[in-house]
This record gives sequence, C-alpha cells and structure tokens, in this order.
Amino acid sequence: MSPVSPPAREDEASDGELIWRLIALIWSYRTEFLQVVIYQIALLVLVLAGLRLTGVGIDYVRFVVQPGAPVPHWPLGLAPPAEWKPMQVMLAIGLAVFGLAAVRALLTYLAQSSMNMLTQGRIVVDLRPRVYDKLQRLSFRFFDANASSSIINRVTGDVQSVRMFVDQVLMQTIIVLVSFAAYVGFMLSVNVRLTVACLVVTPLIWLCSTIFARAVHPAYRRNRELMDALVQRLVESIRGIPVIKAYGCEEGEIRRFRQANDLVRDQQHWIFRRLAAYNPTVGFLSQATLFVLLGYGGYLAARGEIPIGTGLVVFAAILQQLAAQISNIANIANSMHQSLRGARRVFDILDEPVEIQSPVVPARPETIVGRVRFEHVWFDHGQNPVLQDIDFAVEPGQCVAIVGPTGSGKSSVMSLLPRFYDPTDGRILLDGIDLREFDVDDLRRRIGIVFQESFLFSSTVAENIAFGHPEASGELIEKAARIAAAHDFITDLPRGYDTVLGETGIGLSGGQKQRLAIARAVLLNPPLLVLDDPTAAVDPGTEHEIAAAIEAAMAGRTTFIVAHRPAMLRRADMVIVLEHGRLVQTGTHEDLMAREGYYCNALEIQNPGTAEGLVS
Amino acid sequence: MKRRLTIAPTADDEIDQSSLDVFGLLRRVFSYARPHARARNHLIGLVIFRSAALPALAWALGAIINGPIQSGNVSAILLATLGFAALAAVVQYGFYFRIRFALELGEAVIHDIRHAVFEHLMRLPMSFYNRTKLGRIIGRMTSDLDAVRVGVQDIVFVSIVQAGNMVVAAVLMLWCDWVLFSIMLAIAPVIWLLNRYFTRRITEDQRKGQESFSRVTATLAESVNGIRVTQGFVRQDVNADYFRELVADHSRYSLGSGHTSAIFLPLLELNSQFFIAMLLVVGGYRSLDPDIARPVGDIVQFFFLSNLFFEPIKQLGSQYNNALTAMVGAERVFRLLDTRPEWTDPPDARPLPHLAGQVEFRDLTFGYDPARPVLRGINFLAEPGSAIALVGHTGSGKTSIINLVAKMYLPTSGTLTLDGNDITQISSHSLHRQMAVVHQQSILFEGTVLDNIRFARPEASVQMVIETARRLDCMDIFDALPKGLYTQVGEAGANLSAGQRQLVSFARALMVDPRILILDEATSAIDAMTEARIQRALTTLLQGRTSFVVAHRLSTIRRADLILVLDHGQIVERGTHAELLNLGRVYAGLHRHFTQSA
Repeated sequence: MSPVSPPAREDEASDGELIWRLIALIWSYRTEFLQVVIYQIALLVLVLAGLRLTGVGIDYVRFVVQPGAPVPHWPLGLAPPAEWKPMQVMLAIGLAVFGLAAVRALLTYLAQSSMNMLTQGRIVVDLRPRVYDKLQRLSFRFFDANASSSIINRVTGDVQSVRMFVDQVLMQTIIVLVSFAAYVGFMLSVNVRLTVACLVVTPLIWLCSTIFARAVHPAYRRNRELMDALVQRLVESIRGIPVIKAYGCEEGEIRRFRQANDLVRDQQHWIFRRLAAYNPTVGFLSQATLFVLLGYGGYLAARGEIPIGTGLVVFAAILQQLAAQISNIANIANSMHQSLRGARRVFDILDEPVEIQSPVVPARPETIVGRVRFEHVWFDHGQNPVLQDIDFAVEPGQCVAIVGPTGSGKSSVMSLLPRFYDPTDGRILLDGIDLREFDVDDLRRRIGIVFQESFLFSSTVAENIAFGHPEASGELIEKAARIAAAHDFITDLPRGYDTVLGETGIGLSGGQKQRLAIARAVLLNPPLLVLDDPTAAVDPGTEHEIAAAIEAAMAGRTTFIVAHRPAMLRRADMVIVLEHGRLVQTGTHEDLMAREGYYCNALEIQNPGTAEGLVS
Repeated sequence: MKRRLTIAPTADDEIDQSSLDVFGLLRRVFSYARPHARARNHLIGLVIFRSAALPALAWALGAIINGPIQSGNVSAILLATLGFAALAAVVQYGFYFRIRFALELGEAVIHDIRHAVFEHLMRLPMSFYNRTKLGRIIGRMTSDLDAVRVGVQDIVFVSIVQAGNMVVAAVLMLWCDWVLFSIMLAIAPVIWLLNRYFTRRITEDQRKGQESFSRVTATLAESVNGIRVTQGFVRQDVNADYFRELVADHSRYSLGSGHTSAIFLPLLELNSQFFIAMLLVVGGYRSLDPDIARPVGDIVQFFFLSNLFFEPIKQLGSQYNNALTAMVGAERVFRLLDTRPEWTDPPDARPLPHLAGQVEFRDLTFGYDPARPVLRGINFLAEPGSAIALVGHTGSGKTSIINLVAKMYLPTSGTLTLDGNDITQISSHSLHRQMAVVHQQSILFEGTVLDNIRFARPEASVQMVIETARRLDCMDIFDALPKGLYTQVGEAGANLSAGQRQLVSFARALMVDPRILILDEATSAIDAMTEARIQRALTTLLQGRTSFVVAHRLSTIRRADLILVLDHGQIVERGTHAELLNLGRVYAGLHRHFTQSA
C-alpha cells in the first residue's frame, strides 16, 4: 500500500512510452482511422492532378499563342483530339479542373466528418466517462493529495489532449509524411535537379522546428504550473471571501493575486520571443526554396528545359503547399507536447491503483448482525502513526461513543469502518469477517455514514436523501426524513421535497443540512451506523430533535459516534477515549466518570453545572 | 428521477451571439491596450506593412516568371531573384515583430483585465457570492479570458492583414486585367453568403455545446468535491451512467458543429477551384482570341494573386467565427466586471474612529430579498464591552444579525449605529479593521498555520503570533502539529482536523485585537478538553470588547450580558440568563431542552 503523492518526476513515463500507449489506445479505432487516412491520400492525389491540369492549361495557351513555346506534356498521355479548337481544349481543361475540385470537396467533407466522428463521437465519449469512473473509485488519499481543480481538469482538458493526439498529432503526421512523399515524387518526375535544389533547405526547417520545440517545451510546462497557481489563488480567495471581507483584507488579496498574475505574464514573454522568432525563420527558410526555384528554375525554363506551366508554376504551388506542411511540423510538435502532457495526466489516473479493492470471491453473509472488532489496528498516512494498536470489541446493536481531543484519531477510526482507508497493520472484523474480505460496495451499503461536514449535491431534497438508493420510493424517502426530524422543515421549503439545493438552489442552515445527511444515512436501513460528530454544526435548540432521531435510528444497529455532549455519551453502551492515536480509556460513561482521567476532566470542565446536575 | 446532479444554466451564461455587439466589445477589449500604446502602434504599422507586402511578393513572383524567365534573360533572372529574396527577408523580419508584439499585447491586455476582474470581485458584497457559483467565476477567468486572448493575439491582427491582402491583391489584379478580375468579384458574394449561413449554424452549435459542456464541468466539480459521500454511499455507478449521458450529450453538439464545418470548408474550397477553372477558360480565351490577345502571363499572375484574394474570404469567415467565440468570452467577462454591487459605501463615507464598541439596532428590518424580511422591528443596544448572545432556532435570524453588524449586508430599513455612527455612512474597510469574525465552518487559506493566524495582520512577527496562541492557551496544540506553526494547511485545510482549524481561526481573530468580535459559535466541533481551554481564553479575551455570539453553548450563553432570543426574525425575549429563566417562557423552554440533551 503505497501512499499517493503528487506524481514524482523521476518515474514518469518517457515520451516514447507515452506515444506507444496512445497508439495502443487508438488501435481499437483503427478501422475508422484508416478510413480517414485513405480519404486524405485520395485528396492529395486530386490536389496534384488539379495543379497539373492547371499547369497544362497555361502551357497549352503559351504553345498556341507564342511561337516556339514547348509542346505541353499531357497528363497520362491524354492529349486532346487534334481537331479540337484551342478554345474547346481550354473549356475541357477548365471543366476537368472543376470536376476534380468537386470530387475533392466531397472527399474533404468525408475526411473531416469521419475524423470528427472518431474524435468527438468516439474517443472523447469513451475516454471521459472512463477517467471519471476511475476517479470515483480512487481512494481518499488521492483526493487528499491533489487539488480538486487539477482533478477536474483531467476529465475535461486532459482528455481533450488525448483527442488532440489523434487529430492534431497522429493524423497530421501521416498527412505531412504522405504529402511530402507525393509532392516530392511529383516534382522528381518533372525535373530531378530542380527538385533536389529546391529541397536543399528543407532539413534546415526541420532542424529549426526541433530546436524550437526542445527550448519551449519546459517553458510551456512552467506556464501551466503558474496558471494553475493563479487559478488556485482565485479559488482560495473566492472560498475565503467571508473571512477576507470580515477582516477587510481585500487589498492584501489583490496584491497576492497581482503577484501570481504578473508571474504568468512575465514568464509568457520568454515564450513569446521564441515563438515570434520561430515563425518568420521557418517562413523565410521555406521561401528560400522559392528563390532557388526562381533562380535555377527560371534559368532552366529560359533554356527551355522545363515548361513554365507544369514546371515553374506548378512547382511554385507545390512548394507553397510543402512549406505549409513543414510549418505544420512545428504545430504538430507543439500539439504533441500539449497532448502528451495531458495524456500523461490521464494515464496517471487510469494507472492509479485502486487502493481499496474487493476480493475476487467476497464474503457475502446473508445478514450482518453488526459485531465489530478492532484487532490491534495501526494506521498512518505515510508518516506519523495516526492510530496505534487500537483494540476493542463491540456487540451487535451497541452504541459506541468515541471521545478524545482534537487530532486524536477519532475521524480515522470512523473512516476505517467503511474502508475509506485500510489499516496499516492489524484488522477490523465485522461479524468475525475481516472487512477486506467483503465486497467494498456491499460493505459500504451496510454502513450509514454521516460526515462531520455534510456535503449535499445540487439536486432536489428528495434526490439528496435517496443518494445511496436512487430508486427509493417517495414513501421511503419521507420515512427517512421523519426519522432525521427533517420532514417538517422540508415541507416548509418552497417546493418541499422537490426543492433544489446547492450553489444555485436554496441555502440550508448547518443543522438542516446535517439532518438531511442523517436521513440520507438511514434511508438504506444499514446494520451499522457511523456518525462523525453529527451535531457539530447543529444548534442546541434543534440538537435534541437530532438526538432523538439518532436514538430512533440506532435501534437495532451497531452505532459508532464521535460525540462530545454528555447526553450522547451517557446514552452510549461503551465510551472509547482516544489520545494521540491510542486508546487510553474504555468503559461506560458512569465507569469513566468515576475514574480519574481525561474523560472525567473534560466533562467537568465543559459543563460544570449540567455535569453535576446530570451525573447525580 | 431524471434530474440528478444537474446544474441549471443561469442567466449570466446565456449569451445570444446574434445580439452581440462584436465591434463594441472589441473596442472595449482594446481600450485595455491603451497603457501599451507603443506596442499597439507598432503593431498597426507592421500590420499595414504586411497587408501590402504579401501581395507584393506574389506579384513579384508572377512578374519574374512573366518577365525575365519568359524572355530567357539569365542575368535578369538572377537579379530579380535576389531582389525577391531581399523583399522576403524584410517581410519576415517584420513578421517577427508582428507576432511578438501581438502576443505581448494580448497577454498584457488579459493580465490587466484579469486584475481588474479580481479587484472587482473583491469589492462585490457577500450577496454576490451567495448566488454565484465558484466554477462560473473560474470559467470567466480562465477559458473566457483565454478566448479573449486569442482574439487579441491572433484574430484581430490576422484579420486585418488578411483583409489588407485582399484589397491590395484586388487592386493589383484590377490593374492587370479587369475582365478576369470581374469574374473573380462575381464569385465573392457566393462565398460571402455561404460564409454567413454556415457561420451562424456553427456558432449556434458551439453555443449549445458550451452550455452542455458547462454542465459537464459543474457535475464533475461536484463529484470531486463530494467524493467522500459518493464512495460512502456507493453511488459510483449511478453517477458514472449519468456522467456518460452528459458527455454523450455534449458530443452531440461537437459533432453537429463539426459536421457543419465539414460541409462548409469544402464548399469554400470548391469556390476557389471554380475560379481557377474559370481563369483557365476565360484567360485562355482572352489570350487565344487574336482580337484580344492578352499576354499569357496574366493567367500566371492571377494564379498567384487569386490565392491572396480568396484565402482571406475563407480565413475571414473562420476568423469572424473565432472572433465571435472570443467576444462571447469578452461579453461574459465584462458582464462580471459590470456586475453592480447591490450597495457600496457612499462616496463620502467616513472612516470609523477608534471604536468604544456601542452597537445599536433601531427599528431595523432586513431581508436578503427585501420583499421577504428575515428580521423585523429589531431594537436593542449593546453597551461597549458587553457580550451579546443570540439564541434561537435555525432560521430565526441570528446569523442575519451578525451579518449586519459585520456590514456584509445593509439594513433594508431602520438604522444600525456603531458608537452613534450610522453603519451606512462609514467606510466598510475602517470597520473591518476593528472587527474579527469567527465563522462556524473555519475557512483557512493555502499556506502555513502561521500565515493563517496572521492573515489579517501579515506584518505581525512570529513572536506576536506565539503570544496570541499562548493567550488562547493552544500553543501546545500548534506545536504538536508535524511542523508546528510552519505546518502547511492544504486545500481546505485538509491536513488539520476540524478542531485544529477552528483553533487557527480563533487565533486569527485574536491577532486583530478587535473592538467588535463576532463568533458564529462552532465550538461543538472542538473536543471538550480543548474547548474548555478556549472558553477560559475567551473569557479574558471578551473583556473590554463588544461581542456578538451565535451561542450554542450554555456556558457562553450564561456568561452573556444580554441574551436576545429570536424567533422568526423578531426578538421575543431579552435579558440575562437568570432573568430569562425566571420569566419562564421561550428561553426557559430552550434551556430545558438543552439541559436535557446535554
């Protein structure tokens, strides 16, 4: 069980490995992908044919008009019948160019829409839910260790990066390679020496792209980090706005934000200079081929060795296309870095071990009576032990209250029961069966949990209560709400059980939220109830209602409750006192009050009057 | 149950692109370029240069082929090539600055807008935050501003260059052969109409796509933040199904807009090919017909120049499209920036003098929505240094009272005075510097425990922080943290327990040495032992300060100088603990419940 820490840079997969993984991922879409490749090749052929025809047209006009001009090379030997008038020939060429263009348009449409279907319709739709699903199953450690904004981005932006690898990197690379081959092949067929001369500079362009990409890659990474930090700042300031306003600290926040903001801008400038230098350099280098064409090609044309139309003009057009493809290499390199960075973060999630796993053959007892035993349980988050040698047993239906100072490990005991974490050592038994032998989902369904701070979803009251069992009937929901003393206030809400909660919906008080959380927990009728300080956010006026609700909910269930109030402690069948992760005292309220120790002291201090009055 | 974890889009996200004032927005975005006028002016110059230079290069290419190459003059060919190379070098050199200045200007503009938005955010009152989702604010600051950035860096300047190219190329062609050019001109409206139709469809699809994507993000954000509940209640499968639906829904829109552009772009392409075909036929005719006998070179010239005429029409179409996206982003950002605070301090707000701490509510009515008051006819006087306990059921108005004292909201009617100063007439800042609030759920910031304690007094020394912690009697608890006061408080204080976080916010309040202390009591999150110590420390702390406590603890209530019992927004009883017990009514009833449950 290795603790999850932010991804260590050393054991990151190399770019090469990542690319292979991405290709493997795309392999399942190979048919669709191949289809697009075929379209693209066909398109290329059509482009060349169109150009060639245009060149022939120019040459033909020259041939007719200018005495001494060379005879045009008809493509594939398709010379027009000799009896055609020149105008007829031109019309035929014009029609052919247009016809080719029409086919090209159709093919472009097909290529684009299939690519779109493949990326947006298949890959993203498959991958996003996959990452999301995996996320949901990761252990709490992962969520403790990663900022939520960065986690969210993995499903949104980073998945798009994987898509980007398909259409911007892989497909574009293929297009570049294929068109390079086709263009060069075509040029060679016209004139070998001119082709070689024109292409002499090409490696320089490629070199330039590579150097640039290398230089800029780390800067982009840094940029992303700075941007993340900026967003983090923003999130903090918005979340903390009540404190910021109450203390009049707006100016300080503005200053801190400005610093983060300035960092982003200043770092960008470094990238910009390189970016700005790169494009014109590559642009000039690719224009250099034009100079060669004009100088050397012009010389050849002047000597009649190549025609002006199919020679010079077509060469010029092809060189422009080539230049576009070469500058595309830089885009590809850029997209590649972006997509690999995103893909790495996506794979991080997909590879993240699901720490809490169900066994292959889980124990599936018919019923759970709720006998719980902690056997020498140790637990830590990777550093200092949080729980040390916790050992106790609870009989079915008993109520166990857990007490102890802040940070003594109460919440940890609670989170071990539904296996949010597993003990580092020792084991926890439910009805004599190690928790790890149960199916995790099955186990959690049998435990009703109320967290310290209740989290409700932007959804209706009813849906929030039925969170663990979305198919629950209205009757069941209402029953749960009544147990949690929530029914009355719910019916007072504008739309009763259909009132929408959450950020966009209506706001509830802490006590109301917590009662919904209790309703949510009891809806499943679990044999085990885990209440992590449920009254923390509830005012005393309503606390007694909850106390009564908990009382009702506890009937027939084994209950673990983190509590402070004497009433609850007195009600418990057993009180466990934790200090610094150790179990220091155990017994009933009366036992413990009679003994010298933390418990007795704490209760005395807390409420001298009531304690006296009530202990008697 | 169809509606699970969905988030309804709110009004500020819905932007009708057809009613978008693109140029007005652009003007506003560019008003942020004013402080960077030098870069902006250089850019304008460079853009104009480039508009003319690119057609000039194309023209030169055709001219060299038509002139020296046709006539076979080798030395002229070489000379012309060198000239061409020189022109190209100059153009590329200008291009370097064009790109660099545009990138820098875009970044500078975004930087300034971002700063302005943040400043504005800090000035908006609490009511804004109660109705605005965090995710939306982040969206404004990230994706929307990124769209604006692209708008400034690329779209505007590229568009101007493209448009310039078109004009210059048109003039050159017109000069060269007006008949051929007229054919070209005849095709242009077709392209323009196609553009218009498709751009509309695409933007409509994209708008819907963005809406559906914001549902994806919002759901995702909730899933991440609520992961503990999701796992605890084994909701993963249900959520996953729902999420799959949302993603599929989003992909429908992406596919839609993708499909439209897959039709649109080839159609545009076809148009320029049609021109090439026409060029060959008509140009050929004009060369072949002995009556007209235009030089063959015209065809060559047009072949190169036409690209510079048609390419911009295509590009401008998609650029307009991008500009729309960018301006939708700008519109959203500016809407946020233009959100008027429901109230501000009056311009002549006085700074509050050093407070003695007298607080008086007179006939005060208040409602978050003025039509639905949550406080009615509130009258009471808190003497300097007294402790006021607010007691009552959830929703009785306790929190509203402390929100008003803290000037997070303004009274709807009636007055609230501090040492006789009307709260609406004093500057909020001067009040907040003399006040401390401890919220029920402690909010901590990224940084160390130390940073958090001196949050409101960043200039305080470590020694002062330690002293404060000692006065609170919780220094030992901070010391026991992994790195003591230097322990990092993670996102939402993940590394500290609720009790520890509560202590940090107590210490933060104490650091301020406030005249008015507001405690939304959450002591129940702190275990009995620690709380006992805080209670002791608070006793000494409250001395000489006016304090308002939303009290949950009998010990706090009993000590209060004045207990206000609230019910449905009205004060139903007031007095000391003993007086109210003797009265034997609401408070006595609450007290009975309390002691029974405690």
